[in-house]
Amino acid sequence: MDLSPLSRDALSTTAPKRLVFGALLIALMLNLLPWSGLALLMRPDFLLLMILYWVVHESRSIGQTWGFALGLVMDVADSALLGQHALVYVLAIFLTQLLRIRILHLTVFEQALHMLSILFVAQAVYVLLNLSLGREFVGWGLIVSPLVGALLWLPVHYLATLPRFRRRGQTRIM
Amino acid sequence: MATYQENFFTRGPSPLARVTFFSLLAIAVMIADHRFQALDVVRFGATTILNPIEQALAWPARSLNTVTTYFRDQDSLIADKKALEEKVLSLAAEGQRAQLLAAEHKHVTTLQEANNRFQREGIIAEIIRDARNPFARKMIINRGMRDGIKSGAVVIDGVGVVGQVTNLGATSAEVTLTTEKDQSVPVMIVRNSLRAVAVGNGREGAIEIPFMPVASDILVGDALVTSGIDGVYPAGLSVGTITVVDKNPAFSFARIVAQPTSAPTHHRFVKVLLMPTSGVEKTASYPVSDIVASDSGTTTTDKFGRASDAKREAKLDAKRALRQKNEARER
Repeated sequence: MDLSPLSRDALSTTAPKRLVFGALLIALMLNLLPWSGLALLMRPDFLLLMILYWVVHESRSIGQTWGFALGLVMDVADSALLGQHALVYVLAIFLTQLLRIRILHLTVFEQALHMLSILFVAQAVYVLLNLSLGREFVGWGLIVSPLVGALLWLPVHYLATLPRFRRRGQTRIM
Repeated sequence: MATYQENFFTRGPSPLARVTFFSLLAIAVMIADHRFQALDVVRFGATTILNPIEQALAWPARSLNTVTTYFRDQDSLIADKKALEEKVLSLAAEGQRAQLLAAEHKHVTTLQEANNRFQREGIIAEIIRDARNPFARKMIINRGMRDGIKSGAVVIDGVGVVGQVTNLGATSAEVTLTTEKDQSVPVMIVRNSLRAVAVGNGREGAIEIPFMPVASDILVGDALVTSGIDGVYPAGLSVGTITVVDKNPAFSFARIVAQPTSAPTHHRFVKVLLMPTSGVEKTASYPVSDIVASDSGTTTTDKFGRASDAKREAKLDAKRALRQKNEARER
């Protein structure tokens, strides 16, 4: 009879740092592809999605500090006013941190719905920020971006079931 | 694993405290960037690091483009060549005429410096991509600080003004198009030399001329060129054509919209005009000040070897005009 405590394993099943930062790097690269026109409007923010994923699953390594730093990187890359993406990312991460325990107990589809609302709020903050800076509204394609992001949550979710990540297929307790 | 157990209960500041801190920090960064341009160094560093990565990421699409260009059919190439040859011929004629006009202009203004506002060195740059910001009308070119480009340099294409360099990396630069919101270009109407300022409004294919009185003499179809009055844009570059003149007496200003001449989305290469190194450009920004500029004492001789004489004459002329003006006022 195996009497080894469950919780010990639950705590040890953290993702390797390689995986966490590798995935973030790939998401950043996807964001840095030369998007333009309508595709740019409808492009989901891969990086934000990946950050939120790790906020849910690796809350100890990825938090608001990383969100802020990566947000600044995106600002430079997008030739935007510095701090825009940083603010949006930090707010989205905060919302995810509030909903984190709840999200972990839901099915994938319900999780995606939660993500839809968070991504939508993030996009709304981003657009309102730009409008308040006196920019023109560029089109309703901007609404599609959170939708695509939420759909992408489904494949991204299976990152958690990668063999290296979950050694014995246990469900995580916290 | 031991480390996890050690800091298992240590949480640090609460998420709410963190979000408050980081939001305030982000807003502070925005203000620093927007109001004081205090973070240009950060931007320069990050751009320089990011640019090679972005170039690498853009490579597949670009090489695909190159390959499809390679396999273009001969007919279109021949047609292109013919069009280009015709263009060269017409431009050659234009060029000769321009030389003649420049020489005449030199005689008229009798000042060599005056020509500086029409001539400027430039380097050819390739457009790498549009900026990924849907709210901004900017694009990235493959030349940067290392090639001698400075912030504020004017960018033109084959037909007219494209915009201005606003941010620099070591090997890349960000060009803000004239159609970007609040991006302004000092212009002049060719027909009657009326000076104005053209301002972008954030939409493609339209720039506005605000604050022109309803009574001002502007017609649909008027050509706009740079006036050169600011010392940044050289004079005489084509900017656009007036498409809408809406003179509603209910408002004190007319609504005037122009169509920009340049179409930077349609081709791959632009020319970046290097900023003048001497102070001559600033003083010789407009004919009126050209005469004043002769007082600055810069002694340069033109190819006719009589610039200094001409200058002295211009100086005397100016003094004479001033004296006459004063006499008239006294009377």
